[in-house]
Amino acid sequence: MSLPPFKLLRPRSIEDAAGYLSAHAPDIQIIAGGTDLLPSMKQRLFTPKYLLDIRGIDELRTIRSIPGHGTEIGALVTLSTIEDSEFIRRSYRVLREAVATVASPILRNMGTIGGNICLDTRCLWYNQSLTWRKSCGFCIKKDGDLCHVAPGGKKCWAAFSADSPAALLCLEAELEIAGPAGKRRLPLSEFYTNIGDARMKLANNEMLTRVFLPERMAGYDGVYQKLRLRGSIDYPLAGVAAALKKNAQGIIEDARVAITGVNPAPLLVNEARHALAGKMLNDHAAAVVGELAAKVAKPLTTSLLTPEYRREMIRVFAKRAVLGAGTGV
Amino acid sequence: MKKELIELRVNGRSREVAIEPAKLLLDTLREDLQLTGSKRGCDDSSCGACTVLVDGTPMLSCTMIAASISVDDEGHAPEITTIEGVAEHGAMAAIQKAYGDWGGAQCGYCTPGFIMTVKALLERNPEPSDEDIRHALSGNLCRCTGYTQMYQAIKAAIRAEQQGIAAARR
Repeated sequence: MSLPPFKLLRPRSIEDAAGYLSAHAPDIQIIAGGTDLLPSMKQRLFTPKYLLDIRGIDELRTIRSIPGHGTEIGALVTLSTIEDSEFIRRSYRVLREAVATVASPILRNMGTIGGNICLDTRCLWYNQSLTWRKSCGFCIKKDGDLCHVAPGGKKCWAAFSADSPAALLCLEAELEIAGPAGKRRLPLSEFYTNIGDARMKLANNEMLTRVFLPERMAGYDGVYQKLRLRGSIDYPLAGVAAALKKNAQGIIEDARVAITGVNPAPLLVNEARHALAGKMLNDHAAAVVGELAAKVAKPLTTSLLTPEYRREMIRVFAKRAVLGAGTGV
Repeated sequence: MKKELIELRVNGRSREVAIEPAKLLLDTLREDLQLTGSKRGCDDSSCGACTVLVDGTPMLSCTMIAASISVDDEGHAPEITTIEGVAEHGAMAAIQKAYGDWGGAQCGYCTPGFIMTVKALLERNPEPSDEDIRHALSGNLCRCTGYTQMYQAIKAAIRAEQQGIAAARR
């Protein structure tokens, strides 16, 4: 398939990019790795008049450690670069584990961390060709007012389907967003809306520029568990990230668990932190977290696997992830 | 949309083409540069038949806009390598020869994509383990499912390279 026509803009700086965004919003869309946007453009899910290709903004390509504060990752850093970074593996292991499961090695060479954070939500009834969608009746997320997943409903339930944000939530990441008024910072946990067709708080004249990982979260052990159809590629149909820190006696000092792939947003399992802190790690403690995670998961029929199975796998994976993160497996 | 003149760096040469701004790299290679080795398989970025190297890194040409990687205002552009650029001085590269010797290609449709991925792997890691090879090739699909012969071909190519290096040192 070919792409719908557009005019390509190639800014060299954040300022130039912000200028283009202000001048052309809402008829403009940002492209970096293109692995999410281009397949959707082939399906005519997006037909922007302008494409803002930000790959030329070199300052967004680096991972930088800022002693006393943490680590800054530019939005254009590829998922492969994060996967191969010894520093990330050592300091923010849960991120490395999650990133290494995204799509396939070739797609990770192309896809960026910024793109993974901003990934469009996905649904069986949405990620289809124009002909397919037209035949079934256009849905709320694109061109219509029906919901095939929750008939009669007005809310879009398309599932947030990126892996790395679950890990980034565990690491209490913050985002830097550039817009017409300059830059703003926002905790990642406040970035998502949990609404499938308006997934994130990013105005159409703003762009995500950097991700910050706080130093206080460095050194946590981490595990990411993922359910997908094919082991070597595919979006998560359920994903769980766990990060925890133990003291010398084996007591859990602090822990975070987050889920993705099942709700319209990646979500922290808030109660998991209190359920684990101060406890010895064992099967029972991990099973409790499994139950808590399954309670947060609200999958609907947005994929080829049943909601019941995906929710059950969130429970199983949360238990395994916590046990894995606690034993360094 | 009106065509625009862009300049690409392909297989060590500079190539000027007049194309629509929305043209995919895969279509530009095949239709405008007659480099038909790269194949359109799934067209939804999951099969790897269109794999090319961009500055030595495997990427999917069906999921890239040609103009995005054309020479920019400052004269910079990444180097694109396609299957047509793998042969060395008119002779087949070790991996191409090994694919022939070991039956690494069955119907052959996925082969150009696989060879590009293997080339990048061996340049980064000249002595990959079986696990490394399987991991690196996990984004390329072969519908004839002839993976075993491919692994044999890759190992033969590695041996041939090592013998070549040893012979050159003698």
